Amino acid sequence: MIRFKQIEERLKKEAKRLLESGAVAVVLAYEKGYDEKHPMPYAAKNVADVENIVFNEYCNYNMARYLVRYPQGTKIAIAVKAADSRAVIQLIQEEKVKREYLVLLGIPVQGMKNPKTGEVIDSKTTCGMHNPVLYDILLGDEVHGHKIVSPYDVLVQYEAMDKDARWEFWKKELDKCIRCYACRKACPMCYCDPCFIDQSKPKWADKAPQSSGNMMYHLTRFHHLAGRCIDCGECSRACPVNIPLYLFHKKVAKECEEMFNQRAGMSIEDKPVLIDFRVEDSDKILE
Amino acid sequence: MLKKIAIEQISQLTAVLMDMGTLLAPVKEISGHNFMEIVDPKQVDLDFYNTIMSPKGAFFPHKEDFVKYKIGKPLSAAEPVLFNMKPAFLFGVRPCDVKSFEIMDIHFNDGGIIDPYWHHRRESTTIFGYAFDLDKPVEPADFYNTLGIYAADPEGSDIFMVKKEKELLLKSITHKGEKLLAHLSVLSSATSANEKYFEEYIKRGKEYKTRFTRVDPEAVALELEDVFDNTDFWKKISSACLSCGVCTFVCPTCYCFDICDDTLFGKGTRRRVWDACMFTDFTVEASGHNPRTQVYQRLRQKFCHKYSFHIRKYGVISCVGCGRCIRYCPVNIDIFTFVDIATKAKWYKRL
Amino acid sequence: MEFEPKILGIACNWCTYTGADLAGTTRLEYPPNVRVVRVMCSSRINPSFIFRAFQLGADGVLVGGCHPGDCHYNTGNLYARRRLATAKKILEFAGIEPGRLRVEWISASEGNKFAEVVEEFTTQIKNLGPQIKLKIQEP
Repeated sequence: MIRFKQIEERLKKEAKRLLESGAVAVVLAYEKGYDEKHPMPYAAKNVADVENIVFNEYCNYNMARYLVRYPQGTKIAIAVKAADSRAVIQLIQEEKVKREYLVLLGIPVQGMKNPKTGEVIDSKTTCGMHNPVLYDILLGDEVHGHKIVSPYDVLVQYEAMDKDARWEFWKKELDKCIRCYACRKACPMCYCDPCFIDQSKPKWADKAPQSSGNMMYHLTRFHHLAGRCIDCGECSRACPVNIPLYLFHKKVAKECEEMFNQRAGMSIEDKPVLIDFRVEDSDKILE
Repeated sequence: MLKKIAIEQISQLTAVLMDMGTLLAPVKEISGHNFMEIVDPKQVDLDFYNTIMSPKGAFFPHKEDFVKYKIGKPLSAAEPVLFNMKPAFLFGVRPCDVKSFEIMDIHFNDGGIIDPYWHHRRESTTIFGYAFDLDKPVEPADFYNTLGIYAADPEGSDIFMVKKEKELLLKSITHKGEKLLAHLSVLSSATSANEKYFEEYIKRGKEYKTRFTRVDPEAVALELEDVFDNTDFWKKISSACLSCGVCTFVCPTCYCFDICDDTLFGKGTRRRVWDACMFTDFTVEASGHNPRTQVYQRLRQKFCHKYSFHIRKYGVISCVGCGRCIRYCPVNIDIFTFVDIATKAKWYKRL
Repeated sequence: MEFEPKILGIACNWCTYTGADLAGTTRLEYPPNVRVVRVMCSSRINPSFIFRAFQLGADGVLVGGCHPGDCHYNTGNLYARRRLATAKKILEFAGIEPGRLRVEWISASEGNKFAEVVEEFTTQIKNLGPQIKLKIQEP
């Protein structure tokens, strides 16, 4: 049973301690939004700010996306749930942040809810892990004893579809896209400046929210996140028109895991799969 | 003139409107309701709170083609895209969104350069306003009372609709509305009891309270000018902001656009698409310099445009309190709280 | 009229392109449907090239590079192998026929192989028919 209030107390205690001692310059956590069900990401910079920190079942944000905003060398404490910790590990693998400048406040979770639908968030739309993979301080008891559900189980019905039916499905979904780029900004891994879609030389896709541009944007983004997506589901939660982006990201993550034997964001010693190779990679993957 | 129709028989009304021209009405999709061009009279669904995308798309579409051209041919050979608009009916617009058209008219329709596309669409469209359901609890994100708009405000609509249990009452507000209402024989006449109910409803609408803070345009414009240079304040406000663009696209009073030439294999179209000041490259100049590279600069621009610069230029606040930007913001940034801070506490001045 | 597919061929300079040259000098016959673009190494290939090629009307894409282990730049094709495999999986999940993208390792001395692969691939694309899913219908 996750005691959200208890985690909130311990989070505030640790944040206060770290800021007081000067061990960190900023603590990335959550604060209250316009009501209980809508908390906001929060950057506490001094001890007085710590009072505003909250933690409840709606605190889904992946705070790792804010790490790249701070200049290299800033000491940051960050509250991480399971997928968030993987995002931090992935950023360390990609050398965007250094491990020694981070203090990871791990939060084991279960029963996080999506404020739009009220549903419990589970392995159908995220990685399904409960415990952070990497942490300095654990703020709650680890969650154990639950049936392990593969985060790729939800793909079974889509993989079984006939390819034409699958095409129709994705075309219908991606036609809804209004090109607001909330998915890109919500993603902790999308830190490229400029993003490929903003470039005019070469112009990869039109700006207009129509089929061809939407396809190019999304297919390329799925590829840019191959082996890097840690399945936090933030992109899909950010989408105002509810496109199930997490399905495609999960599929690409599954394929990369099978082909290259490595899961994204699990160990800071790993190298991201697409900037690495093994001489013994099989040619079978090209079939 | 007041008329009525049973809500169950709405499809009869929508069928008639479809015959007379283009009908744009809310349709239920998986993610929520949105205004769409109706192809089946039964598609229309009035059981919604508010649509995801605002109805500004009826007059200012997300993508609008202007000219078709061929590379290598002279300018005179370019063909303007024919703009032929049948009469249109915008059905089921909430009062805050109706007010937004008035604000957008300042940019597209009044004085100076008139946008012929907006102008023509506005002229040919009859607006069916639709009062909020006063029996349902108010949405926490909305704050249209703050901007002087009420839940059952008929101002700006051609015909205003109010729900009465299983019936829909329709009242003509403008001359255009009266003409149309007289013509619609599928509607039945309302009784004097219905008239009374309608007037009562409008009155009750004034009592239906959303979040409220007293905002005097002149005062808030001054406050924001004062705090413009306080970068600490803006950095604090924008620390959660992703700078994505959702707020701009769902907002009924945002109007920035980009003109693109989309060419493929020697043929192309010059078109207008929505743009957002929240995008990183919005202010990139031809030299490559970008004056707004930081998120706080872009958020400051957004908030100040709506609650300061717009007042200075046009005398009105560029916001109707519909709450969409708050509802669909991925991190729940709340512009109302910000305005509240700016008009009340001066704590930020001590930052 | 029989369908003549438009196939984009991307060949690495040191192996596949030279191999294609050899096929020409040995007067081997193969269908003219593949339009070859030369790149210095198969790892130059951005998967967006492939997505864009399909959008611009290509019916198939054939990528040729050196055999793994023999890359002129030592390791280029090893990265390319992973990258192109991922691109293929993406196209497949999106519902594009997987047979439309083919990656072959063709060395400079394998003129025969080049001609054979082109022949096979062209027939395969002919059977799959024109690619209409990703093709942009109008700008």
